[in-house]
Amino acid sequence: MLIMEITVRYYGMLAEITGQSAENLAFAENMSVGKFREEILSRYPGMTGKKFKVAVNLQIADDDIFIESGCEIALLPPFAGG
Amino acid sequence: METSRKKRKVLVDGPISPQFVADSIAKHQSQTGIGAHAIFLGQIRADQKEDGLVSGIEYTAYEEMANEAFYSIREAAFGKFELTCLHIYHSLGLVPVGEISLFVFVSSTHRRAAFEASEFIVEEIKANVPIFAKELVGAGGGFHWKENK
Repeated sequence: MLIMEITVRYYGMLAEITGQSAENLAFAENMSVGKFREEILSRYPGMTGKKFKVAVNLQIADDDIFIESGCEIALLPPFAGG
Repeated sequence: METSRKKRKVLVDGPISPQFVADSIAKHQSQTGIGAHAIFLGQIRADQKEDGLVSGIEYTAYEEMANEAFYSIREAAFGKFELTCLHIYHSLGLVPVGEISLFVFVSSTHRRAAFEASEFIVEEIKANVPIFAKELVGAGGGFHWKENK
């Protein structure tokens, strides 16, 4: 049974790798950001070796933060503002 | 004293024009408690890359989070320095070489706060705002993803 439904946004070169700027994903369980990184890498192997931060609901999140249904996740490559 | 609480529009489409900078200065003439303005302008540089010269940068952003980050930076600057006024503008979309993509405009009674706040703000923007930059190179559609150091 799929219980964790999230929106995932992709930016910069990560959007090029996935071919899209956002998608809805569903998983069978809630998971940590660390586990989510593994899931995303297995879904998009082109991201291997690429540096990125993960934001959960507009906040940069460490790998031990937990993601729940309804969260907005963003994969953020290195910033280049200014 | 300007309130820091109102959310301001920071992200603008395309380059920031010199006229806009001049108009911003003019708009502050009536604030006669101001003794110093510090203005930082980020201009697009024609860096030489392996495959050619940079011709421009295309900016994108995680806008909701970028706006929150700009707000936090603004609040932090008002908290840390004695400022009268603060405006930040950053371009989205294409900014050609030689044009302006960042305008930080800090005003204070005396110069020390303006000097120091403008440096603080620019460094915070480069470190903490989710803005992404595609450096366009040469005539053939080549590009590199830029990373702040």
